[in-house]
Amino acid sequence: MKKKHLASKVGNQLFFTTPTIIVFAFTVLIPFAYGLYLTFMNMPNISSTLTFNGIENYITAFRDVKFWKALLLTVRYVLACVILVNVLGFGLGYLVTSGLRGQNFFRSALFTPNMIGGLVMGYIWQFIFVQSLPTIGRQLGIEILRLGWLGDATLAFLAMVIVTIWQMSGYMMLIFIAGFVSLPKDVLEAASIDGANGWKRMRYVTLPLMTPSFVITFFLTLRNCFMVYDINYSLTGGGPYQSTQMVSMYIVQKAFMESKFAVGQAEAVILFVVVAVISLIQVSIGKKREVDA
Amino acid sequence: MKKIRTIATILAVLMAVMLATACAAPAPAPVTPEEPASEATQAPAATVDPNAKVSIIIANGKGELTAKYQAAVDAFSLEYPNIQIEQYTGAVGDPVSILDKLMASGTVVSLAMLEPGSVDTKYADFNKVDLSGEAWVDDTVFAFKDASGATVGFPFAIEGFGLIYNAAVVDNAVGGAFDPWSINSRDKLIELLGKIKASGVEFPIAYQTEAWSVGNHYSSMFLNQADDPASVVKQMTEGSFDLAGNATWNGYYETMSLLASRDYNKYGERPLGSYYDDAHVSVGKGDSAILFNGNWAFDSFQAVSGEKFGFMPVPVDNDPANPLNNKICVGPTQLYVINADASPEQQAAAKLFLNWLVESDYGKNWLVNDCQVISAFANNPNKVTNPLGGAIAEAIAQGRTMPFTTNYVNGADYFNLLGPEVQKFIDQKITLSDLATVFTDYYKSLG
Repeated sequence: MKKKHLASKVGNQLFFTTPTIIVFAFTVLIPFAYGLYLTFMNMPNISSTLTFNGIENYITAFRDVKFWKALLLTVRYVLACVILVNVLGFGLGYLVTSGLRGQNFFRSALFTPNMIGGLVMGYIWQFIFVQSLPTIGRQLGIEILRLGWLGDATLAFLAMVIVTIWQMSGYMMLIFIAGFVSLPKDVLEAASIDGANGWKRMRYVTLPLMTPSFVITFFLTLRNCFMVYDINYSLTGGGPYQSTQMVSMYIVQKAFMESKFAVGQAEAVILFVVVAVISLIQVSIGKKREVDA
Repeated sequence: MKKIRTIATILAVLMAVMLATACAAPAPAPVTPEEPASEATQAPAATVDPNAKVSIIIANGKGELTAKYQAAVDAFSLEYPNIQIEQYTGAVGDPVSILDKLMASGTVVSLAMLEPGSVDTKYADFNKVDLSGEAWVDDTVFAFKDASGATVGFPFAIEGFGLIYNAAVVDNAVGGAFDPWSINSRDKLIELLGKIKASGVEFPIAYQTEAWSVGNHYSSMFLNQADDPASVVKQMTEGSFDLAGNATWNGYYETMSLLASRDYNKYGERPLGSYYDDAHVSVGKGDSAILFNGNWAFDSFQAVSGEKFGFMPVPVDNDPANPLNNKICVGPTQLYVINADASPEQQAAAKLFLNWLVESDYGKNWLVNDCQVISAFANNPNKVTNPLGGAIAEAIAQGRTMPFTTNYVNGADYFNLLGPEVQKFIDQKITLSDLATVFTDYYKSLG
């Protein structure tokens, strides 16, 4: 009887989970495992017969100075974006839940950039940086805008950060809105009765209670920024002279343009490990700081 | 309830088996290692039934022609209903080629379009059929031979690059019909730029500096100092070519500095940036007069203006008798190769398709009039109507062409490794001597 019960339980579970497992396996697990397998093979050409190569690809990847340079640049980009996107997203979330007139309109308007695909948005902003802003700069005598930003290494990097903020802040705002509206009113009221002013209420009550939202937004911004490709490709193309080439774009170049498939794959695995470790640390620290209302 | 559970269990087991079977599916047969990879394979004896049903896959380049390719395939299929063609075309700007995607998925591509520079490099292992026995070989001087000397490439498109000018602006500046071949020295180019400025154009040049342009195209031109560019590549690879002391190498970059200078270039103050579109709009509308690019740029020009454009040579020095100052780079830029790993029937069908493109009236008309591609074949009487294509056809007729040097370099390396270094030179982050060292070291690394 017990055996029969177990079989039916397993059958039920499989009935509901197997389709998802199959899709997940085909789109994530199998490609990942095959990708991992490729990193241990020699693959000089797309049609070559694969031969075992040990950890040679990883050694080449670790010695690839340009890869580490691109990774370091990506870390700088991630730091800038994670801080600015979350600060802005939090601020906007706070504003559009504070009873501002027309706040529903602002919620929709600020979220809209997230609806535009990264490639399209990159091209739109390329036009803005190359043609619109220099025209405004010339007309109004604003020196910083007079010349196209994408031809200068520092300004092109800044352009990447600005466009990313523009795209992601609205989405993060939405998550913060969910956090703000679910804040327990009684706790906030109690804080006010106890004499906490606006800043103290924010610092000691709102912020700790918003930690679950921060865990999600930090994770999303970290992951999206580490993996950035579309904006990088369409906005700066990695230029000028590869000074804004982020690590994902470098890996695509290594694998598919230089045809060093296995080395590129090994670098992708290294990137995966870096992002996974950082994300796990961030989530575990965030979870520890969560408080119950 | 019991019934549902039984069905559920059967379904789950079935799915698991399907999954396991899919995982264990045999990999595509590997290329036999004994076969020499870089040498073209002689086609198997043609014992192919011409009426037998056969399906072939074509992987095309030149994404801008996607719809046109399908039209050609449909027309061919009407004439040869037993041959079914599935054509795939890579999107413009896609960094991963459609051929790579198809090959990676184990698909046997019968007919593939390659860039000449990739035949002996990236696709050296792509097993190519020797096409020297094909009828169309006698109709062209552009049939492509691989490193072993075998004719493996069907020249699909003839293209060229040089200094493109807006005829209306330049005619106005010189006060009459401008002769592009009169610019056969750097001083004459400077004189022309002065005249254009005097005519009221503040910046005669809109110099777009993408890595592929300043790298693959501009920075390979020095190879034309020898009749056979491959001989310079060989010397470079062997380390016996003094690049830093080479007059042609230095001359081309002196001209590049002129093109990028603040005096003449619209973007002179900040010469790098994503200026491709803006440069073409500027020259197309006549706000500037000159840029460096190839005949494919007409797609961008025609969006803003239907006026006349032409090519002039890129002067390398002040010697009007120097052949480099009197010619533009022209050659095949896209080749069809047939996969020797396809079945004999598929190879025969692919050959038939290529012959049909050259010999049939539809094929001749389609290539030149529909696609606006300059035909590499003498038996094609059609002429492209777009002014840049026309200028190239005229240069060919006048014998004012030299090899398309991009075909002699590894395109991916020039784009990814050397192009950005040339951009640094333009932005004055490195000197010409530094650039020479980068190029010398790169070629030595190939040796």
